[in-house]
Amino acid sequence: MKRSLTIFLSIFVLGASIAARAETDAEVSARKDALDIAGAFSNDGFKIRDGHSCGVLKPHDHALVAVNLYAGNQYWFSAAAAEPAKKIAVSVYDENGKQLTTESYNNEEKAAAGFSPANSGQYFVSVDLVEGEGGSFCLVYSYK
Amino acid sequence: MIRLAKLGLLALTAGVFAATGATDTRRLPADQLEKAVRSDSITIPTPGELFAALGKSEKTNWSGQYRGPMPVTYRNRAQIALNLGGLIADGFIAVEAKDSQQVKNIGSDIIKLAKALGVSERLLGRGNSINEFAQNNEWDTLQEELEATQNEVKSAMQSHADQDLVILVTLGGWIRGTQVVTAAIMQKYDERSAKVLRQPALVHFMQSRINEISPELRQEPLVKDVSEQLNGIEKLVSFPAGKTPTADEVRKINEAVGKVMTEIESKELPK
Repeated sequence: MKRSLTIFLSIFVLGASIAARAETDAEVSARKDALDIAGAFSNDGFKIRDGHSCGVLKPHDHALVAVNLYAGNQYWFSAAAAEPAKKIAVSVYDENGKQLTTESYNNEEKAAAGFSPANSGQYFVSVDLVEGEGGSFCLVYSYK
Repeated sequence: MIRLAKLGLLALTAGVFAATGATDTRRLPADQLEKAVRSDSITIPTPGELFAALGKSEKTNWSGQYRGPMPVTYRNRAQIALNLGGLIADGFIAVEAKDSQQVKNIGSDIIKLAKALGVSERLLGRGNSINEFAQNNEWDTLQEELEATQNEVKSAMQSHADQDLVILVTLGGWIRGTQVVTAAIMQKYDERSAKVLRQPALVHFMQSRINEISPELRQEPLVKDVSEQLNGIEKLVSFPAGKTPTADEVRKINEAVGKVMTEIESKELPK
């Protein structure tokens, strides 16, 4: 357990070092929270990708991230936002922009969407600011 | 421990919430999809992700996908980067095969190739961890460690102003991963497995990243050749959604990526 945590933390620190730009404290905090959610799914066999997408959510707007997924795998997309964002939601769209039905977890500034693609290819993950002012967010994903 | 237990509860709660699902579907316009964030670290899946999908439908003979020892004495930096990516994909294969000795051998070769790029110092600790996890048969942890190793290589490249080589590591891994998956499907064709091969946007994205690297590197014979062949491969993996690649289509992809892989491995660079 201790070793797993060490690895987890080292991946976290490593991830921070490879970001294309310097991350703000708020983004680092949001990523930690997003990894906490993803960590919960890892108890169910999901492996957390050592990659992330952080940015800023604006009021009444969403952040859209392109991912490439494989049919046969199951995915959870976990996101968290820092204050002053109050509530976010995560949703998934297919390559034509059609929203897909997902399993969902919502807990104010943390949210996740679970999905098993029928087709391999490109999908889009949207992180929406539902309530509160704009703020930093971070998205990670896990698969099994 | 308590923290993880709480998170476990969180997952359970999520499962309960999951029953509701998303019901009010909406559609995003094409211009928004075009502007979506795309990055190496989240838009491009790891070889481990690809292998996980393949392993769902058929029992794969992973050790049958090993290749012979490869040279670790390349001089061309682009070629080293491409081979490094391929080698990391080999590491994922060895993890799938649960072959600790093979994982150790590949881990050692990864360090040697990284050394040739001048990025090995930070990786020595990773090499030790890989050996330790392999020794203890900690396969899930090894998968994470391999991805972390790949990212550490890329991170070191960025700090060494070798940013342009990063996409070549990623590309090398994808080509080797696709070679292995197509070979496995050819050995025992089934439709569910073949569906993992539809990846037009992924190949298109990698091609676009190659187009962004410096003109000097892009004009290197190997990079130019790989890039040109990638155009053909993009067409081969561009199946309509819902269509399953036939056995013949799988074979064509395997031949195409196999040809590129042979060039990447070759000691004689294209002229």
